[in-house]
Amino acid sequence: MRLFDRVRPAVINGLRELQANKVRSLLSMSGIILGVASLVAMVTVVQGMVGNFRQFVDAMGGIEKITILREQLPKEQEHLAELSEGLTMRDVERIRRTAPLIRNISPEARVGYEKIVYEDRETNTYVTGVTADYLPVAKRWVEPDQGRFVSDLDVLNMTDVIVLGSAVIPELFAPNVDPVGQVVKVRGRRFTVIGVLNNIEGTGMQIRSANSRSSGGAWRWRNSGAFIPVSTALTKYNGNDRLTGLGLRITDPEQLRDAVDQTERTMLAAHKGLRDFSISTNEQTLEDFRKTEAAFKLSLGGVAGISLFVGGIGIMNVMLASINERIREIGVRKAVGARGSDLFLQFLAEAAVVSVVGGLLGLLVSVGIVTLMNFILTQALPTGAVATLDWVIMGEGLAFSVVIGLIAGVYPALRAAKLDPIEALRHE
Amino acid sequence: MPPLITIRGLRKTYRMGDENVHALDGVDLDFQKGEFVAILGPSGSGKSTLMHILGFMDTPSEGSIVFDGEEVARLDPDRRAWYRSHRVGFVFQAFNLLPRLTIEENVALPLLYRDGSDPAANLAAACAALERVGMTHRLGHRPGQLSGGERQRVAVARAIVGTPSIIFADEPTGNLDVKNVDRVLDLLGSLIKEGITVVLVTHDLSVAEKARRVISMRAGLVQEDRVR
Repeated sequence: MRLFDRVRPAVINGLRELQANKVRSLLSMSGIILGVASLVAMVTVVQGMVGNFRQFVDAMGGIEKITILREQLPKEQEHLAELSEGLTMRDVERIRRTAPLIRNISPEARVGYEKIVYEDRETNTYVTGVTADYLPVAKRWVEPDQGRFVSDLDVLNMTDVIVLGSAVIPELFAPNVDPVGQVVKVRGRRFTVIGVLNNIEGTGMQIRSANSRSSGGAWRWRNSGAFIPVSTALTKYNGNDRLTGLGLRITDPEQLRDAVDQTERTMLAAHKGLRDFSISTNEQTLEDFRKTEAAFKLSLGGVAGISLFVGGIGIMNVMLASINERIREIGVRKAVGARGSDLFLQFLAEAAVVSVVGGLLGLLVSVGIVTLMNFILTQALPTGAVATLDWVIMGEGLAFSVVIGLIAGVYPALRAAKLDPIEALRHE
Repeated sequence: MPPLITIRGLRKTYRMGDENVHALDGVDLDFQKGEFVAILGPSGSGKSTLMHILGFMDTPSEGSIVFDGEEVARLDPDRRAWYRSHRVGFVFQAFNLLPRLTIEENVALPLLYRDGSDPAANLAAACAALERVGMTHRLGHRPGQLSGGERQRVAVARAIVGTPSIIFADEPTGNLDVKNVDRVLDLLGSLIKEGITVVLVTHDLSVAEKARRVISMRAGLVQEDRVR
């Protein structure tokens, strides 16, 4: 409480000094303003990018997804090509039996980029044969009022049912038509629409318009496509039992490596040692991104750090100049009873006031920078990196500037505190 | 009644290059409560040094000072600051008012540095002090808007606001015109009625003559101490 009583007049005094020397104070604050602005803008934008990327990785099945694709045999095994069966439903069974770390297995059989016809409308999209496990593996779902997905029974009975991506709907159906229950044709075969997949929306504005043709960027493909039972695809279109790929979802992301090993051993055993498949995860992508993120933070943080440092020097410089101008004032204050610590507090408070006001102005500037960055990034990147200002980050930026101001104020304040009152009063 | 201040064998030695300069070379003096004293002397006589030491702005090299019964020759800086804010008032030749503060804020300044100081009470005390010097018509003004005589009266108000035991006035009339010289000196002289000891430090004999007791100094020594 006593400290507060001593700090309050010091702060009021600091505000007065600021008001009396507006231009000089503004100049001394410029470093802090730019420092705080770049710090807050940097953290905000990088966080925005990270958030967007996480969403992107998530939309690709997340870190818990393992993808097995059919591959050409490597050179040293080429002569064994006729032994290769490729990926089949038998692999699904084997993995299910021998790889306990795998929770879901989604076999996928691509039919092709097909024309889908409804009455007089048509559109082209990829048609893929899948099972019910597609949903958990791809982290997708069908909204309750949007029908249902392909079921085990559909796969068993090779039914002619189709689930459409949300981006396909406006191309095929008028807005007043409920797609569920309608009959569409793929290569002349009639399919009943049983459901519509959920629409993937990013939090960013560039993703929101996934339904429209004009935008949607990298997210658009996630909302297109058509899905039929894998058995229907294999039997009625492809005429063989070869799958395009397998999507696996693991129980625990921490055990990704083990799950990959388990899968690889199972697959190699099942394929008689033939490497006619590849196993990939999103881990590498995520890792690459983490490195980029770290590099961003380091370089931008360095810039912000340097400008805050320069800002601190600016404040120290102006405080020293201000003390030089006010040596007599310091003498008078000491003559009427101010202790060294009173003057130390007074000048430290002045430095703090300058840095707080500078920090607040910096936050204002950061709002402008983030708005501008958002605009530029949405133009430049398909996934966009839309950043939203966060109170916590802004608070941290402000706190940082205050700390800098206080550190910069210590030396000038010490000088003021140590001035000899007699010398100070004689100062012209 | 014991004296307010008793000084014995007071010396102050400065080191200037290779030489020791004795600003005070063994001074013995007593100051009574409610006394109007002038310390007269040319520059370099040691009168300012004496004032600074008695005003708790400096410490002597040797000797003793008993202030109101307490030995104060060797106090630490914070304790000296306490004495300056509680027991001593200063009036300077150059007024030394802070230009950014209003006159009542200037007058309240010594109270600001007291423990448990309350801004409202400080301003009230400042207004009372300004009333005693006849400056209430200028409340809210800044020093720059005042004449020299008015500024010095505000400075006197600042010196008395903390109800000190002693006021040091260092050439208080040096920057004033004739009319204001008398006014300020009369104002200072009137303070002794309240039991305040007033010490006028000057090189001007005509100013010193206003005091009842004149102490003449030369070369760090008391040359003459006479009471009219």
